Amino acid sequence: MRHQANPWITSNLWLLSAAMLPAIALVGALLYFTGWAFTFSFTDLGLTGRKAVEWSWVGLENYERLFTRKGFLDSLWTTIIFVFFSAIVGQSVLGFLLAATLRGTVSTTRSVVEVCIMLGWLLPDIVAAFLWSATTSRTGLINSLFIVPFGLQPINFINDFALAVVTIANVWKGTAWSYLLFIAALDSVPREIIEAAKIDGATRWQRAWLVVLPIIRPHIATNLLFITIWTFTYFPLIFAMTGGGPGRQTETLALFLYNQSFARGNLGFGSAISVAMLLIVGALSLIYLRMLREPK
Amino acid sequence: MERTTLSRPMALALAFMAVIWVSPFGWLLSNAFDTAATGRLIWPQRFGIDNFTGAIGGDAGRMFLNSLLIAAGTATISVVVGAAAAYPLSRLRMPGKNALLWTLVLLRMLPSVGVLVPLYFAAQRSGLLNQFGVMLALSCLNLPFTLLLLKNFFDTVPIELEEAAYVDGASLWQIVTGIVLPMSRAGLAVVWFFSFTGAWNEFLLPLIFSRVEAGFPMSVGLYGAFGRMGAIDYGFLAAFSIIYAAPAIGVYFLLRRNMNTGFAGVGVKG
Repeated sequence: MRHQANPWITSNLWLLSAAMLPAIALVGALLYFTGWAFTFSFTDLGLTGRKAVEWSWVGLENYERLFTRKGFLDSLWTTIIFVFFSAIVGQSVLGFLLAATLRGTVSTTRSVVEVCIMLGWLLPDIVAAFLWSATTSRTGLINSLFIVPFGLQPINFINDFALAVVTIANVWKGTAWSYLLFIAALDSVPREIIEAAKIDGATRWQRAWLVVLPIIRPHIATNLLFITIWTFTYFPLIFAMTGGGPGRQTETLALFLYNQSFARGNLGFGSAISVAMLLIVGALSLIYLRMLREPK
Repeated sequence: MERTTLSRPMALALAFMAVIWVSPFGWLLSNAFDTAATGRLIWPQRFGIDNFTGAIGGDAGRMFLNSLLIAAGTATISVVVGAAAAYPLSRLRMPGKNALLWTLVLLRMLPSVGVLVPLYFAAQRSGLLNQFGVMLALSCLNLPFTLLLLKNFFDTVPIELEEAAYVDGASLWQIVTGIVLPMSRAGLAVVWFFSFTGAWNEFLLPLIFSRVEAGFPMSVGLYGAFGRMGAIDYGFLAAFSIIYAAPAIGVYFLLRRNMNTGFAGVGVKG
């Protein structure tokens, strides 16, 4: 222990250490559970029945199954499509465009749009799922406004375009977060710098590309990583809307993990899926840590 | 000053977008106040609040209480355990403190689906497949974030105040309860309400932890009600959804000004 400056701290070291114990226990439990997921992934542990008690080691069998059977790779692909279109294209780009448009405008327009998109974000996942199931159903909002008035047959969107519907629902729900981050980032760009660029004769596009963008680059990176990781492991919205169906069209990795572990009861294989997900998220987080550490 | 005024097409596009964004809410409201709701987009046929009275009594009322118990319990455990550890973490000079903080940042990214199976397994073995188990599991997953956020808040309390109190003869307990906690009141409130809304909205853990219908929180109950095949009672579900969504939305507008601290909490000032 190095030199401690504060006597009220040094005379109570034991008390303070004791105060940290519950937190250490909970964080320790979290690390322990992560380790457990690794251990389970080498067994054939089951949810119910004989395999729940008399499980055995199966070596790398679960991991072989990840790559030799179609389930995992299909889900990985579905997840990548879902993340790319709903998080990166949808939430980030739309959030950025909104932030760029609304920055420095009259406050009423800004407030109205903000409250509108914020409502989606604040809604609990299951309520959003219910809303979008109802909106896209045969008698729902979209059919009764855009399809039926033109004399067309009502379309069962959630059945025919399942992945597109959950993607749009997630854009609707999540854009506010990216928007909030981007508008804060844009507000932090000093006006003097933009003014100076203007005086030097930079055009509007040059100012955006060469002046503003480099300044807010760290914010863009933070935003992309956070929403990528969240969307990658996002469960409730898709599960409540489609359950992964029809067929396996919307079965992202989180749903695949749930279905294998708790519907089929293969806790061992489910653990292998979660290890694969943890590795992917871990790799993404490490990239994020490196970017945070880099001096701006 | 660069004062942008929106061009007419741009303003129209924004208005159009806002309408699209809120239209599902219009549908929700019109159905919730229509006692003969059919899920179609029409002006309420029979205006009334029967749906709401239905959605706070009986099973629905119990689900509300379950949600409240889980959310308030998780928030309180997170804040108490988090604050007790965050103060020493903020003031003590320990070896390996930076490594510890970075571990917490990494753990904050840990997705709950990644530890779902071990969580379930541990809860099953220790008889915690109930609301209390959900609370503990959520607090566990929540703690890295809570700890970092609270440590950052405690870091901003000036140490000179504590020194002055010590010189005046205050004990550690008096310093903490008399100076540190009151000065980071806003931070504690933000953390509590963040945890509260997070647990209130949580679906996956209660789904696998709730063995009996009496233990269902609103998220699981709502899922069960509209996932079921057959006639859907749109009026009831719409009212139920509004009641379920209200606390989360209310908390946000209550804390709107303090909300940006949530972004500050993602980094570490080591």
